[in-house]
Amino acid sequence: MKIIKYLILILIILNLSSIKAEDQINDLNIKITKNLRCLICQGQSVYDSDTEFANSVKILVQNKLRDGQSEKEIYSYLKDKYGEWILYDPEFNKNTYFLWLLPVLMFLVGGAIIFKLLIKTKY
Amino acid sequence: MTSTIGFYSLTFGLVCSFLIIFFSVKNFNNSQFFDNKILSITFLQFFFVTISFFSLILAFVYSDFSNETVFNHSHTTKPLFYKISGTWGNHEGSLLLWLLVLTFFIFVFLLKSQKQKKEYRILTSLIQQVIIIGFFFFLIKTSNPFNYIFPVPAQGLGLNPILQDPALAIHPPILYLGYVGSSIIFSSALAATTLNYVSKDWAKHIKQWVLVSWIFLTLGILLGSIWAYYELGWGGFWFWDPVENVSLMPWLALTTLLHCILVLEKKLLLSSWAIILSIATFTLSMSGTFLVRSGILNSVHTFANDPERGLYILIFLFCLIFLSLFIFFFFFKFEKKKKNLFWLSKETAILINNWFMMYFLSVVLIGTIYPIFLEVFSSEKISIGPPFYNKLIIPFLVPFLLAMAIGPKLKWIKSNFENKKHLILFFIISLLLSILIIRNLDISFLLNTVLVTSAFYLFFITSRDFFVKGFKRLSQNIAHFGFSLLILSILFNNIFSTEVISNLKLGETLENENFKIKFENIKEINEYNYKSIKGKFTVQDLNGSNEIMYPELRIYNQPNIVTSEADIKTNLLTDKFMTMNYIQNQDYFNIRYQVKPFMLWIWLSVLLICFGGVISFIKKYEG
Repeated sequence: MKIIKYLILILIILNLSSIKAEDQINDLNIKITKNLRCLICQGQSVYDSDTEFANSVKILVQNKLRDGQSEKEIYSYLKDKYGEWILYDPEFNKNTYFLWLLPVLMFLVGGAIIFKLLIKTKY
Repeated sequence: MTSTIGFYSLTFGLVCSFLIIFFSVKNFNNSQFFDNKILSITFLQFFFVTISFFSLILAFVYSDFSNETVFNHSHTTKPLFYKISGTWGNHEGSLLLWLLVLTFFIFVFLLKSQKQKKEYRILTSLIQQVIIIGFFFFLIKTSNPFNYIFPVPAQGLGLNPILQDPALAIHPPILYLGYVGSSIIFSSALAATTLNYVSKDWAKHIKQWVLVSWIFLTLGILLGSIWAYYELGWGGFWFWDPVENVSLMPWLALTTLLHCILVLEKKLLLSSWAIILSIATFTLSMSGTFLVRSGILNSVHTFANDPERGLYILIFLFCLIFLSLFIFFFFFKFEKKKKNLFWLSKETAILINNWFMMYFLSVVLIGTIYPIFLEVFSSEKISIGPPFYNKLIIPFLVPFLLAMAIGPKLKWIKSNFENKKHLILFFIISLLLSILIIRNLDISFLLNTVLVTSAFYLFFITSRDFFVKGFKRLSQNIAHFGFSLLILSILFNNIFSTEVISNLKLGETLENENFKIKFENIKEINEYNYKSIKGKFTVQDLNGSNEIMYPELRIYNQPNIVTSEADIKTNLLTDKFMTMNYIQNQDYFNIRYQVKPFMLWIWLSVLLICFGGVISFIKKYEG
C-alpha cells in the first residue's frame, strides 16, 4: 500500500511539474510573440494579431519551445527565415550601432553642456 | 454646387493671404500704429476657409458623390455623425482642417496681442501667412478636396469602419489644435528673434500659446490612445507605433519649452534655447504630418498615403527649416550678460528636466526615423518596437522622477537643503512600500522596485504639497502629481494584468486558476450599416463574482470589413476586457479575456496633467 501511496504522490508531483513546464512555455511564448512583427498586418505584433500568419507563428514558437529551444535560437531561426524585419527588438550589430548609441551620446552631450554652464558660474 | 462654393472660397482665402502680405509690408514701414485692415482681412480669410470647410461638410452630409473626396470616404448608409466626422477622417479634409485652424489661430493671435509692439504683430502675421500660403498651395495642387467626378457615382466607397468611432471623430480636430498652435509659437519666436524682442514680456505672452497647444496636444494624444485601447482590440494603449511617436515628439518638445519658458520669464536665461525649441516644436509637428501622409511609415494608423504629397511637404518643410535657421543665426543676439547658474537652484532643476526630455525626444526620434534611413542606405529593413523604447527610456525614468519631485522645491538663483527632512522620510516610505508590493511577485525585483519607488516618491511629495502649499503653484503641482499617478498606473497595469487566450465553441467552458469563462450563446443582429454578431459569456472570478461580457464582431457593408468590438467593463480599480474573433471554417471563436488594473487611472491622470495646464492658463489670463 505504501508503495502505491508513494507512486501516486510521485505521479502527482510529476504531473504538477509538467503543468509548471507548460506554464513556463506559455509565458515564454507570450513574451516571444510580443516581440515579433506580424508581417502581413500594419504595425501589430504576432501576439496581438489573429491573422493566419500570426497564428501559425504562434504555433511554430510553441512547438520550438516544447522541443527545448531557447529564446535566442527561436529569434535567430525566425530572423533567417523572414529577415530582421520580424524582430521588434533590434539586435546590436553594424546596422544598429547608431540606433543604440546615438540617444545615449545625445544624453552625454546634454549633460556635458549643463555641466559646463554650471562650472562657468563663480559663486 | 457646394464643391464649387468650397473651391472658390478656398481661392479667395489664398488671395487674402497676398492682400495681408501687401498691407503688412506697407504698414510695417509707413505707420506708427497697427493697421486694422490686416486684422479685418485675416478675419475675412478665416471666414472664407470656414465657408470652404462647411461646404465640404455639407457635401458629406448630403452624400454629394460628384465630389471625389466624398465618393472615396462616405456612403449613404453611414450615420449622420460619421458622415460629418468623415470630413476630416481623410487626407484632403484633414488638411483643410489644418488650414482652418491655422487661419483661426492667427486671427485670435492678432486679436489677443494688441498690447504688443506693432512690428512684432505684423511680422508674426507675415511668417504665419507664409505657412498658410504653403498649405493653400499644397491643398489646391496636390489634395484638392473639391475635385469633381463625372459621371456621378450612385454610391460612395465608405469610411474605414475602425474610424467610425466617437473618440476618433473628435481626435483629429483636438490634435490639430495642438499641432497648429505650435505654428503660432514658431512664427512668434522668429518674429521676436528678428526684432530682438526675446524678453520676459515676450515669454509671458507666448507662454499662453504654449499652454494652449500643449493642452490640446495632450488631450489629442489621450483620445487617440483611448481609441486604440478599445478599438484595435488587443487591450494595449500605447504601442510605440511610428504614428503615435510622431504625435509624442512635438509633445515632448512642447513640454520642454513650457518649462524652459518659465526660466526665460523669470530670469531671462536660456533665450536661445527657447527659440530653438519653438522652431523644433513646429518642425516636429510638420514632419509628423509629412511622415504620416507620405506613407513612409508602416503603422496601424496609416490610412492615406501618396508619395507626391509627401515630397511636397518635405520640400515645404525644408524651406521652413532653412528660413528659421537663417533668421536664428543672422538675427539672434546672444546675451552678453554672464549666465549665473548655481547647481542647487530652480534654474538648474529645469535645465535637468530639459536635458531628460531632450533625451526622451532623441530616443523617440531616432527610433522612428532610423529604419527609414537604414532602408535607404543599406536596403535592409529592421523593425523598432516596444523593447527598444523600454530599454532606453525606463532606466532614465528613475532619476527623472526623483528630480521631478525635488526640483519644484528649490528656489530661484540659490537654494539649500534646510528643513528637508521629509524628503528623506518620504523616500524611505516609498522604498518600503514598493518592496512590500513587489516582493512576492514573479517579476524582476530590482528594476521594478526602483521604478515603483521613484514613482511613489513623486506621488507622496506632490500629495504633501497639496496640504502644505495649498493653492500656491497649484497648476504645477497638479500636473506633476498627475504624472506620478500616470507612471504608477502604467507600472501597476503592467505588473498586475492577467489574460487568457483560447478557442471556444458555443457552450464550452474554459477554466484556469484565475477565472472560469463560459460561452453562453451567440446572437446575430442587423444594424443600419453593419451586421453584428454578439457573443454572451459569463466570467466567474476566483472570489465568486460574476460578470457577463458581450464581445462583438461587426461585419460592415461599406467597405466590407469585419471588425472586432471589445466589451469592456470598467470600474474604479480594474478593467475587464474581452474580444472575440472568427476562426476560418470552424465553429470555434478565438476569445481573449484580460483583467487590467488601473486602466481608468491612466486616463484620469492624463486628464489631471491637462487640468494643471488649464489652471496655469486661467491664472495667467487673469493676472
